[in-house]
Amino acid sequence: MPHGAHPDRPLLSRWLRQDLGLLVGAAGTSVVGALLVWSATHETAGTAYLVRHLLNTAIGITLALGVARLGHHGLRLVAPWIYGLSLVGLVAVLTPLGTTINGSRSWIPVVAGFTVQPSEFAKLGLALVLAFVLADRWERRVAPSNRDVALGWLLAAVPVALIMLQPDLGSAVVLGALAFVVIAVAGAPRRWVVGIGVAAVGLVVAALTTPLLSDYQRDRLLAFADPSADPQGIGYQTRQVRLAIGSGGWGGQGFMEGRQTQGGFVPYQLNDFIFSVAGEELGYIGAAGLLVLLGFIVIRIFVVAGRSGDAFGRFLGAGVGTWLAFQVFQNVGMNLGVMPVTGLPLPFVSYGGSSMFASWLAVGVVNAAYAAAHRDRV
Amino acid sequence: MTIAVLFVFSIFAAQLLRIQGFDSSAVAAQALEQRTEKVVIPALRGKITSSDGVVLASSRARETVVADPTAVCTYKQKSTKTCDPATSGVAVDLAAKALAPLLGRTADELRPRLGGSGRYQVLDRKVSPLTWRKIANLGIPGIYRDSAEAVPERVYPQGPNSASLVGFVTNDGAAGGGLESMMDTALKGTAGYSIFEKAPDGSKIPGGRQGGAPADDGQDVMLTVNSNIQWYAQNALAQQMAKMGAQSGTAVVMNAKTSKVLALASYPTFDPNDIASAKGSLVNKALNDVFEPGSTAKVMTVAAALEEKLVTPGQPVVIPNRMQRFDASFKDSHDHPTLYRTVAGTLAESSNIGTILIGETMPPKKLEEYFRKFGLGSRSGMGYPGESAGLLSSSSKWSGTQRSTVMFGQGLSVTAIQAASVFQTIANGGMRMTPSLIEGTTAENGTFTKAAEKPGTRVVSEDTAAKVNAMLEGVVSKEGTAPQAQIPGYRVAGKTGTADFYDARLKRYSGKTASFIGYAPADNPELVVAVILQRPSASIYGGTVAAPVFHDVMTYALQELKVPPTGTAAAPITLSVTPEEALSNPDTLRDKARHPAK
Repeated sequence: MPHGAHPDRPLLSRWLRQDLGLLVGAAGTSVVGALLVWSATHETAGTAYLVRHLLNTAIGITLALGVARLGHHGLRLVAPWIYGLSLVGLVAVLTPLGTTINGSRSWIPVVAGFTVQPSEFAKLGLALVLAFVLADRWERRVAPSNRDVALGWLLAAVPVALIMLQPDLGSAVVLGALAFVVIAVAGAPRRWVVGIGVAAVGLVVAALTTPLLSDYQRDRLLAFADPSADPQGIGYQTRQVRLAIGSGGWGGQGFMEGRQTQGGFVPYQLNDFIFSVAGEELGYIGAAGLLVLLGFIVIRIFVVAGRSGDAFGRFLGAGVGTWLAFQVFQNVGMNLGVMPVTGLPLPFVSYGGSSMFASWLAVGVVNAAYAAAHRDRV
Repeated sequence: MTIAVLFVFSIFAAQLLRIQGFDSSAVAAQALEQRTEKVVIPALRGKITSSDGVVLASSRARETVVADPTAVCTYKQKSTKTCDPATSGVAVDLAAKALAPLLGRTADELRPRLGGSGRYQVLDRKVSPLTWRKIANLGIPGIYRDSAEAVPERVYPQGPNSASLVGFVTNDGAAGGGLESMMDTALKGTAGYSIFEKAPDGSKIPGGRQGGAPADDGQDVMLTVNSNIQWYAQNALAQQMAKMGAQSGTAVVMNAKTSKVLALASYPTFDPNDIASAKGSLVNKALNDVFEPGSTAKVMTVAAALEEKLVTPGQPVVIPNRMQRFDASFKDSHDHPTLYRTVAGTLAESSNIGTILIGETMPPKKLEEYFRKFGLGSRSGMGYPGESAGLLSSSSKWSGTQRSTVMFGQGLSVTAIQAASVFQTIANGGMRMTPSLIEGTTAENGTFTKAAEKPGTRVVSEDTAAKVNAMLEGVVSKEGTAPQAQIPGYRVAGKTGTADFYDARLKRYSGKTASFIGYAPADNPELVVAVILQRPSASIYGGTVAAPVFHDVMTYALQELKVPPTGTAAAPITLSVTPEEALSNPDTLRDKARHPAK
């Protein structure tokens, strides 16, 4: 099949066999993230975090382009392996190989102070394996059986359980949401979809009203709404974040000029609360702009996935899109004080190698499905 | 899916709008309030110097160094965030050993504070800025300087020598007494402040809002005191006190013409550099303690009678051995046959009976008037803290015997400054000047402001003063009570005093007050020196106890101020008359004599 034969696509896209909009959007967001990370850390660390963030971005882009080259079939081949590898990582993190930071045993130290966070890659692994398992049925024009749905949920339950042992509630919820959407999109019987949805809501209600959680845990979860519930911990963070974002006003205080940011008032500002840097220094215009960028990436993933020719691509896109969308929703939500505070990073923007690689790999797998679809179609 | 995403994102955009658009100014104000820190910049207290420029008190910047034991325990350990009980002992030990030489303490002394409980332990309040930098360079976690607690250290290079005059400051830098209190307004200056935006770790946020006002350092105060005379007087007094076994003592040196105080010695005293463990007396006895002046007060009685032209210096006085007044039989210091003296001789030999006879030429009210004009019963006006006005009750309340005793200086009390001031008035031709301690103040910019001079008041005429002056020279003559006060080459005038000492603890008279107050050169007075010793045990007479100190201090002060001897001789003065002369003279003062009404 000749290359570059598709008349509707721009030349560069065709040559790259990638969706250009998605690449540019993700790269642009990564650069904005680099600037925000720099602003949040230059007072204490100079350019060290900036350089590492840009390095992570470069590695991420390389990974994405590499994965895209795998193509549709290659991706299907490696999908179970990536899932399996991520499970190995999740188990390893609980062994003495792992290390505990801020109360969660989520990291494996590798070399020279670098750490790997297997839960980030588990998101990719689950998206791939669910698409792999469910696409097979769809392509045979058979609705998923109860057995298929159960298998899907089992595949999701294993990493969710392992992550809850760390514990990392945020990542577990991302995996749950991802599985829920992919299984629903794959045409699972309605009773399953509704049943799981009701069960999830019931679990949240139970967690907040019954002694399932200790008072302390409940306070921490609710502190986003009432900072006085945990004034020394989450409540302090929530208050500082609000002060930072609110100080920004319409136009912001200026890049590297935000007093709350430069003064180091906001804890974990380079990862969990990176959005507050944009809020304070770039103001409403900058923060809303960042939201638009992130929204563009998520929607573009859904659009690209929708255009892919097969079920695997669509399911993969739905999974990946849900994962990034939920993470943006959760992270920005906790910055704005409308969601509980969890340790979820903002894709492409927050500092952190594992998160950056996983986000770019997400772009990579979506593009692989896209390229494959176009090769198939032409 | 896309619609769901758009929906959620628009909710976020709306929430962002609420925080940043509508609540922005309130939130920004809250944020600014949280960041803004106001720090007081203490003003450096002004110096106190003597008139010859010697520093008596000065301040230097000092840091208060504190420790947070929960951080010190991580010094040179693996985890720099949390205390590991297994290694914190080692960390504290390392920190103690590193700090010990810089703080001038042993590691054993520091260890309990570095490893103590709580999060705030004061290590030292008097760390020099240089030492603090060395400490900071050690990089021990949890060792801070507490700028809110930084108090400049007050140093007194002259130590106890001028302590009772200069006073002291308390540990927190506030004036504690003496001139430090009296001149506190000028000395303390105005503290400045600095406003800046503060990061959570206490450091300044670069580029943040800054402002404030610099500290306005205190003014330097220059005293009228001459440091050398002060030093000499304090030592001479201390030596004589030891020799005489006295309980306390004061010596005042004044400029005879201006009443500026040149020395104000007081003993026992204290070390102002170590006020916490100061023993002895923290007050200045020359200004704060009162005593019954005794014979030195006779000068006022005689001067008043002369000024009222009721007596003349050569007027004979018949002095019996005993004289009854109301329920008291008065006597002189020694038993004697009936003496025939002049008014001058009465003063020179310090006869109580003779002085009563002279004083009785006036009604008590007149005598009280003169006492008050000489400065008794009221403060000198210097504003020295705790200064006493002395005790002089109204003449209408004087008892029968008190009417007589006040004439020779019992039944009333004065401060040493008041007593010296009486002699200054005579020395200055009857013009009494208000005593002063302050020469002037120097502002931070170097402008010197001279202290306001108070005008003098005339107490007696120059003629009266000259007559009393001649009599006081007689005191120091061979026939007088204090030949020990003579200074070769100089004409000296003065008066001894020996009075009963009222012991406040025993609530009765016990022991004596021995004093000598005089001035020189008698024909052109430059200096007044008053020496008062309380409860001497070796001897009780002013001539033997106080006059030698007067002699030494006056000799030193004349040389120090380069006062030349005048080279003139005292005019001869008649001190005694023959009984025939006395008895034939109708103006002779004698017991129960009727005095011609004026």
